[in-house]
Amino acid sequence: MAQTVSQRGFVDGVGFFFPQEAPIDATQLVGDLLAREEVFVKPAPWLQLAGGLEFRANSHNQVDDWQLDFLSRGILRPRLTISRLSATLTRGRLRVDLGKQFIRWGKTDILTPTDRFAPRDFLNVVDNYFLAVTGVRASLETGRETLDAAWVPWFTPSRVPLLDQRWTAVPPQAASVPLVDAGHTIPGGSQVGARWSHAGEGFEFSVSFFDGFNHLPNTATQIMGPTPESLQVLVSFSYPAIKAYGVDGAVPTRWFTIKGEAEYFTSSSPDTNEYVLYVLQLERQTGEWQIVVGYTGEVVTARRALVVTGFAPDQGLARSFVGRASYTIDSNRSVSFESAVHQNGRGVYAKAEYSQARGQHWRATATGVFLGGDQNDFLGQYHRNSYLALGLRYSF
Amino acid sequence: MLTRTPIVVAGRPYVPLILMVTLGAVAATGLSAADNARQIVEEAQRRTDAKSQRYEGLLQVFDAKGKISDKRWTFERLGSYGKSKAVLRFTAPAEVKGVALLVINHPDRASDQWMWTPAIERDRRIALQDRSTRFFGTDFSFEDLEERDVNQYDYALIGDDTADGAACWKIESTPKESKSSQYTRSIVWIRKDNYAFARVENFVKTQVVRRLSYNDIQDVQGIWTARQMEMADLRRGSRTRLTLDKLQYNAAMKDEDFTLQAIRR
Repeated sequence: MAQTVSQRGFVDGVGFFFPQEAPIDATQLVGDLLAREEVFVKPAPWLQLAGGLEFRANSHNQVDDWQLDFLSRGILRPRLTISRLSATLTRGRLRVDLGKQFIRWGKTDILTPTDRFAPRDFLNVVDNYFLAVTGVRASLETGRETLDAAWVPWFTPSRVPLLDQRWTAVPPQAASVPLVDAGHTIPGGSQVGARWSHAGEGFEFSVSFFDGFNHLPNTATQIMGPTPESLQVLVSFSYPAIKAYGVDGAVPTRWFTIKGEAEYFTSSSPDTNEYVLYVLQLERQTGEWQIVVGYTGEVVTARRALVVTGFAPDQGLARSFVGRASYTIDSNRSVSFESAVHQNGRGVYAKAEYSQARGQHWRATATGVFLGGDQNDFLGQYHRNSYLALGLRYSF
Repeated sequence: MLTRTPIVVAGRPYVPLILMVTLGAVAATGLSAADNARQIVEEAQRRTDAKSQRYEGLLQVFDAKGKISDKRWTFERLGSYGKSKAVLRFTAPAEVKGVALLVINHPDRASDQWMWTPAIERDRRIALQDRSTRFFGTDFSFEDLEERDVNQYDYALIGDDTADGAACWKIESTPKESKSSQYTRSIVWIRKDNYAFARVENFVKTQVVRRLSYNDIQDVQGIWTARQMEMADLRRGSRTRLTLDKLQYNAAMKDEDFTLQAIRR
C-alpha cells in the first residue's frame, strides 16, 4: 500500500487589549503569535507517525529563549517546541500510541474532572490550551467496550500564570512586594491510568482510575527580606501525588443529552485535601444552536490540617453554574457565548465570540471576556482582567 | 437511510429488463400499491448493494446570494444499508482538516454517530435528537448522513411522474418510528429505467423542508450512481452540492478502520 502523508497547520496572531491595569502588571496590550505544523505519515497500514512543531512569539515576555523544547516543563511558553511526536501501532482492535501525544478523557465541557492526562497552559487563565504528555497509551476496542490504559513516565505539569503578570492576581495593597519563583519540584515517578468505556444503545459511560500527580500545583510561600523595602515573597510549586477514581456518562433523552462526570481525588500528601469534583450538564442542538448548561460541584471529603494554597482552576470553577451557546450563522460565520457564575454570586466569567472565515484559509475572530467579582473568589480575583481580543488565523 | 441519505446511498441500480417485467407481473397479480412501492425500493436497494464504497467529495455551499464555501471530505463505507459502517473525514478547508464522523448503521434503528474534532482531541456522540442540525454548515443534516434499511419505513406508491425528463415512480416513505427522524415523511422519485433515485423531498408535517436532487447518474462498476447531488434547504434558501470524485465500489477495507479509535488522528 502506498505511503500516505498528510499535514495540517496554521499561523495564528492575536492581539489582547485589557482596559484595566493590574496591580502588578500595567501592560494593557499583548500580542501573541503561534505557528503550528503537524505532519502525519502512514508508512504501513499498521503504523502511523505523527509529528508537530510549534513556534511562538509574544510581546509580553511570555515566551522562552531560542531552544527546542520537548517535555513542556518550562515556566514560559517555549519559543520552539515539539508539540507532538508519536507512533501509532494498530493490530486488529488494539491500538498503541507511543510518544508525545494528547490523551483526553471525559465527556463534559468547560470542566472535565476525569481528564487527568491533560495538563494545560494557563498563562491566560481563561484562554488556555492543552499540552501533550509523553508516554504510552493502549486502547482495545471490542464492539461496545473500550479499554484504555496509559503510562506516562515523564510528568508534564500545567503551565501556571507568571508571577509578575496579571493572571497572578495580587491585591493592590500587596502589589509592591515582588513574587519570586522559587522553583517547581517536578515529581520523578511515572503516572498510570486505566479507563473502561461502554457505548450502549441509549447511553454511554466510562469508569477510570488514575495514579499519578496533579498537574496543577500546590504552592508554598516564604517571605524574605531583611528590611520592609527589600521584602519579597518566594513561591515554590509542588505537584502532589494523587489517586483519582472517575465516572462519566452520557444519556440522550428526548429533549437533552444529559452528561455527567465525577472524579474522587485522594492524596497521600499531608497538605492536600481529598475531594470529589463533579459536573452535570444538559446539552442540546436545535436549529443552528448548540446549547450546554450545567452545574459544577465539589465535596471535600477529607480536609487536611495543613492545607497549602495552590493554583486550582478546576476547584476554582466548582460550585458554579456554567453555560455555553453557539450559533452557526452560515458555513463561514458563527457566534458563541460562554459563562460561569459562582452560585454565591461572588465570581462571574462571561465570553462572547464572533468568528468569520474567508476563503479556504483565513479566519478572523473577535472575542470579549468579562470577569468580575470579589478578590477572594477564583473568578472574581481576575476582575481587572476583562479583555477584548482580535485574532487572525491562516490555516494551511 | 434509504430514502434520505444521498451521501451514503450514492449508487443506483441498472434495471435489467427481466426485473422490470417481474415487477410488472407482481403488480398485475393484485398486490397493493404499498407492496409494490416497497418492492420497488427493495429492488433499488438491492441493486446498489456493495461490499464497500469510497469516494472523495467536493461540497459547495451556496446561500441565496451565491457560493460561500467549499469543503472536501473523503468517505469510506463498509457494508450496505442496515449493516454498514462509514467514516467521513474532512480534508479541506485547512481549519477543519481531520474532523471525522463515524456512522454505525443498524438494521432496526437509527444509527450511532460520533464526531472526532482534532482541535480539541475529543470525540463526541451525536445524540439522536441533535441530528436535525446542519452538518458543518452544509445543508445536509447529521440525519441525512445516515443509511437506513428499507424495513424502517412504510411505503406507498402515490403515482408516476418525471424527473429531469425520466419516467419515475413516486413513492411516499414514512418512518415506522416517528421519533427516530426529524422528517414526518419523504417523497421519493425512483427512475423506472434504472431504479436510480432521482429526487427526494423531505417533509416536516406538511411542509417540504429539504429537497435532494440526483444528477449525472453513471454506471460505476455496475452500480448506477449519481455523481452529483444537490441538497436544498427550502427554509433557509441555501443549497449544498456534493460532487463525487474517485468513486470506487468493493475496495478492500477492514472492519477495524471503522471504530472510534480509528477516527482519531
